[in-house]
Amino acid sequence: MQSASMLLKKVLRSSVLPFAAQHGVKKDLFPLSRTLSLSLCLKQDNSPSPSEKLDLDAWKKVMKSGLQEVGKETVSEHQELSSLAAARELLDMWRLAGKLVPENISEEQLQTFMERPSKSAKKKYLKYLHLKEIKKKSDKRKMEEKRERRLQAQEQASKTDESKRNSFVCLWASGMDKVHSWRAAQSMIFGQPLVFDMSYEKDMSAREVANTVRQLMFSEGCNRRSVDPFHIHFCNFKDNSLYHKEFIKYYREAWGKLLITVTDQCYTDIFPKDKLVYLTADSPKVMKTFDHDKIYIVGSMVDKSIKTGVSLARAKRLGLETAALPLEKYLLWNTGAKNLTLDQMMQILLTLKDTGDWKKALEFVPKRKYCGFVNKPVHELKKSLNLINALKFGKRQEEVQKQFAKNYSKKLTRK
Amino acid sequence: IQPPEKPLQAEEWNRLKESFHCPESFEGAMFNSMVRCNTPIDVAKSLLTHVAKSNGDIAYYLLVKYLALCVQQGQTSEIQDVYDIMKTRFRILDSGAYNLLIRGLCNSDEWRMALTLLEEVKEIMVPSRSNYESCIKAASHHQEMNLAFELYREMLAKALVPTMDVLQALFDFSRGMKGAELQKELFDILLYLRDNQLYPHKTFMWSIKLWFESIPGECWRGHLTSIKNSGQCPVCSHQLEDSELTEEEYNNLRERIIRDVIHGTDTFRKTSPQEFAAFQTFVESRLPFDIVIDGLNVSHIKPRKMQCENLFDAVNCLAKDNARLLVLGRKHMLLNSSNWKREIMKEMQKKAEFFFAENISEDDAFLLYATLQSGKHCKFVTRDFLRDHKACLSDSLTRHLFRKWQRGHQIVFSPSAEEKQINFLPAFPYDCVVQTTGDTWHIPYKEAFEEKYSYQVPRKWLCLQQRR
Repeated sequence: MQSASMLLKKVLRSSVLPFAAQHGVKKDLFPLSRTLSLSLCLKQDNSPSPSEKLDLDAWKKVMKSGLQEVGKETVSEHQELSSLAAARELLDMWRLAGKLVPENISEEQLQTFMERPSKSAKKKYLKYLHLKEIKKKSDKRKMEEKRERRLQAQEQASKTDESKRNSFVCLWASGMDKVHSWRAAQSMIFGQPLVFDMSYEKDMSAREVANTVRQLMFSEGCNRRSVDPFHIHFCNFKDNSLYHKEFIKYYREAWGKLLITVTDQCYTDIFPKDKLVYLTADSPKVMKTFDHDKIYIVGSMVDKSIKTGVSLARAKRLGLETAALPLEKYLLWNTGAKNLTLDQMMQILLTLKDTGDWKKALEFVPKRKYCGFVNKPVHELKKSLNLINALKFGKRQEEVQKQFAKNYSKKLTRK
Repeated sequence: IQPPEKPLQAEEWNRLKESFHCPESFEGAMFNSMVRCNTPIDVAKSLLTHVAKSNGDIAYYLLVKYLALCVQQGQTSEIQDVYDIMKTRFRILDSGAYNLLIRGLCNSDEWRMALTLLEEVKEIMVPSRSNYESCIKAASHHQEMNLAFELYREMLAKALVPTMDVLQALFDFSRGMKGAELQKELFDILLYLRDNQLYPHKTFMWSIKLWFESIPGECWRGHLTSIKNSGQCPVCSHQLEDSELTEEEYNNLRERIIRDVIHGTDTFRKTSPQEFAAFQTFVESRLPFDIVIDGLNVSHIKPRKMQCENLFDAVNCLAKDNARLLVLGRKHMLLNSSNWKREIMKEMQKKAEFFFAENISEDDAFLLYATLQSGKHCKFVTRDFLRDHKACLSDSLTRHLFRKWQRGHQIVFSPSAEEKQINFLPAFPYDCVVQTTGDTWHIPYKEAFEEKYSYQVPRKWLCLQQRR
């Protein structure tokens, strides 16, 4: 009885009108829900006609009936579970609960998942796998769409077949490859060396190493395509290191044919020490110009957790000269760390080598990290400075005039 | 979307769903907004019925969302029903569902069922601290203090950190109960606060006070007070303990500072081996110092003044009573510049020892080393909170030692900025932690709940004493 009156109160208090009006539910809902509310109130008091009754617990019957045997069967099947299978089962439940969990997970990934030290690390790893899976799927879909489009285009082309005559055989890709390889080969004899220091493996996690290798591949690609490539050296490179494994994974057999020098020697053994300059964001010295006689060293390290001074320490240990890019001097820095990715470094150095133009080179710094170039608005800076001064003087004008008058009168009295 | 206010028929749900911009996620979105608006569960039930009838099944995530709604409204029988359904359909549940179930059941008369659920969770993963907290609170709410403490110990053994809330509940519900065992458990909580250098907030402090005063036959009296600068309690005139470390702790801390802070992964990151060796011989030949000063830090104390003047003032101020001073700086201070006048530097070097590190070295590490090497009486001066150095220490025990040592040995500036002269606040002569002598307890507490800067120590204390 009490509940019935409560319900009645609720219905009275919360008129249906604002709800329907607010949320754009079709107007015809309004009279219907009113009858419904009335019927509900009646239902509580004296049993209404069974056809109108809403069985609120009907879902429980549906859930309990029929599927029970299935459930029991699965339970008996999985009586004994290995820890791996248990983890897989837990992941299934998380997926059902709508968390970011990949649909397919390999044994190896499951193992790494279980080895994660904390709950948040586990969640992070799952999210990473999930996003990777989504990316892969969308890539695949796009590829298929592309192929279909190509097939269609081919069909149309074959219908209206007009063989075009051209003086060049269409072999762009391989032809360009040859040109690039020729340049890279030349650079290996005459080019300016650029050293990547591969001695940071123990400072990085497996994923950071993988990222490093990807960045190095981009860098190598940029260098090969440039007009005047560097002669790239991978120094302190250990065979069968994690770096090596990652390179093999992506380059496969091309790894042996790359036109770069890979060595386990240190750069100090190959080059004279006074020619070496270690590039590091932590350096107190700022690079002024690009020196074509120097050999620049870039640390092959991706640093996701903040480990300051690691590469500076290495240069200090070997007694090498260090330098940082003049980011502050040329850019109005906004956010983000001053350390750049390896491929960005490569682009910057290539541009500097070809043009010596800092502005052009620093275009490769990600746009999100800075507000603008400093040298561009210098005259604007001056303008605003003038404005500030004008305002200052504007305020103090009377003061200045007074001062002037005073001095002037002093002068007069002295005379 | 706004959930309807009363249960709807199937066709009405269909209509609503069609009008929703993304019909696939309609149910999920609807349940989310039901939880947000705290809609009566009958409405949710009608939606579930609609889903069950049209699909022949209800997705797990919808069940979990429905469960969240039931927990929010304390619908115990409904929670149990959902649990039964989930159990018949799925072998295990996910952590979110277990969290909800335990939380929901703990707030009801069926709280014992939550304990069996907790056992279930333990089979598949480490229960979260909120799982334990719900159970502990429920157990202590029903005066099952033994069970509550058992769960509490279990939680600590799993390296879960209890919130102040749970600790407070344990004090609250033990009020007026007798038993040496219980008393020991609660004292252990206070010692846990001591070991982890935690400070209760005001309401928790009241719970502690009331519990002490309620112990039958022991006549504890509690007073709120603030401790004098000398470290004496104005109520019971008891002298608080100082923050001296034991010989073993001190040596341990010194070694860990050298190993983790100065050397770390690579000595070259903060200094260089040659430089550190040179510093070591420098310090050894001039030991012991009374005060070690971070020269560069002190020189920025008043931005209007020249940097060497600031340092000069500070050295003059500290050089009383024949104190042996060591000032740490960097080599660039020796170059005659607008901020560093050679004559003033020369003048200062008569009053204090100076060590100049390389410009790219970290002088803080040297500060810590020199102070620790000089012995327990030696203090240091810097405005830096030294948090980054504390973070280099790898285990929490050493970090606590570091904090304790820092509290007792760091001299800071008095914050009054208007004064012409530089003034220093002496290091605390007493340690700011929960402490006891058996028949007295002194408990520092935070005035507000959210004061959480690690360098701030409370000034308010609860003094408890037993009258025999």
